[in-house]
Amino acid sequence: MKKDLISMEDLTLDEVKDYLVTAARVEEASLEERVKLLPGRIMAALFFEPSTRTRLSFESAMHRLGGSVIGFAAKDATSVSKGESFTDTIHTVESYSDILVIRHPGEGTGRLAAKESFLPVINAGDGSNQHPTQTLLDLYTIQKDLGKIEGLKIAFVGDLKYSRTVHSLIRALMMFNVTDFTLVAPESLRLPAHFMRTGQPGKFTFHETEHLEEAIRTSDVLYMTRIQRERFPDILEYEKVKDSYVLTAEMLEEAQEHMRVLHPLPRVNEIAYDVDKTKFAGYFPQARNGVIMRQAIILKHLGVSI
Amino acid sequence: MKNEKMLLIPKIDLGIVVDHIPAGMGIKILEIISQYEEIKEVPVSLGLNYESRRLGKKDLIKLQMEFLSPEIIQHISIVAPGVTVKAIKDYKVHSKVVVKAPQEIRNLLECKNPNCITNVEKHVETHFVSLGKDCKQVRCEYCERVFDLNELHTLVD
Ligand SMILES: [Zn+2]
Repeated sequence: MKKDLISMEDLTLDEVKDYLVTAARVEEASLEERVKLLPGRIMAALFFEPSTRTRLSFESAMHRLGGSVIGFAAKDATSVSKGESFTDTIHTVESYSDILVIRHPGEGTGRLAAKESFLPVINAGDGSNQHPTQTLLDLYTIQKDLGKIEGLKIAFVGDLKYSRTVHSLIRALMMFNVTDFTLVAPESLRLPAHFMRTGQPGKFTFHETEHLEEAIRTSDVLYMTRIQRERFPDILEYEKVKDSYVLTAEMLEEAQEHMRVLHPLPRVNEIAYDVDKTKFAGYFPQARNGVIMRQAIILKHLGVSI
Repeated sequence: MKNEKMLLIPKIDLGIVVDHIPAGMGIKILEIISQYEEIKEVPVSLGLNYESRRLGKKDLIKLQMEFLSPEIIQHISIVAPGVTVKAIKDYKVHSKVVVKAPQEIRNLLECKNPNCITNVEKHVETHFVSLGKDCKQVRCEYCERVFDLNELHTLVD
């Protein structure tokens, strides 16, 4: 039976670990070995909204495995809404390829494509719902950089209210028995309260603070996100908080030796450029891990072992 | 006693009885089933406030038809779980099911998330999954949003 990757909610802990193991194998294999794995296979990358980074990462992953890529990338989120229905597009493209990678502003499009198509479907982001390949690459990065996931202290900084990336990663970390979270967010962008009520009472602690310095001192991972101006109804409110969430190299003097700064990219100004040269900067290797993880995902869902 | 009760509403040799409706819900359920095309021509009688050992008071609905579709039973199940649907043949109860709160609801409810693909591609059947046994909260299988059942509208309305 074909296997889709639609939502982190569908995965068991063992399945998540299996993706991490496969990604490690991909990384160990030489470029020459890898490029022999998927000759003649075609991936259709259907990007109904622009997301250059995710698209390039998937394309790079498929090329690294010796396969090729077809597809399209919409210039803006609305240009494809006219004309052919989503399901018709899926049924047309499925006869041209072996695996579908879909990015769409509509929520539930990954699930719908998976139900409609006989090909394996990878959800590369459906509106504000799910982006499972991002979560898997984040987990892989943490495990690779820190040697483990369980028991780490992880801080999230920025827009914790709307960030799909943050929500999905917190849920996944809870599965891995990460119990100690520090949350640094302005009042209006705090993590929704239902997260703090999940799981056995008392198992998870969420320490909320508005002070980035505190999170730097105590955490193993500092996961930064953008604070978008559009999220603030009042522009003055935005001006007031935006600088309190900017990380600089100087602030990192208090960090533990092994601490890592991660970010889903692109950054705006929440990480100063002087952080890039420090040993703490993990966000560019994180992007590289994205290509590794996506190779693992493509292989697994095409049923090719490494 | 039993015969007296049966006299209040015509006895039928062939039909469907929706029984053990909590008193006060009968009219609501009649409204729901009347929306379906297959009921339009069917003789229906409604009984209100009958005595019931289980419920104290109950309502019931009789329909002179052989078969109630799964869509209608599903619709009844989300408003009044616990009702009994009996099929009558030759004046006897031929079969009986107790309608339970559904674990999955297909093609009946409309997702409230405007950005959900089921609201863009209207030909897609909606699909909700109950989060508890009582079906008070449901999750859209597509956009994964969670809703209270009573805040969602049905597609047949
Ligand atoms: Zn929905």
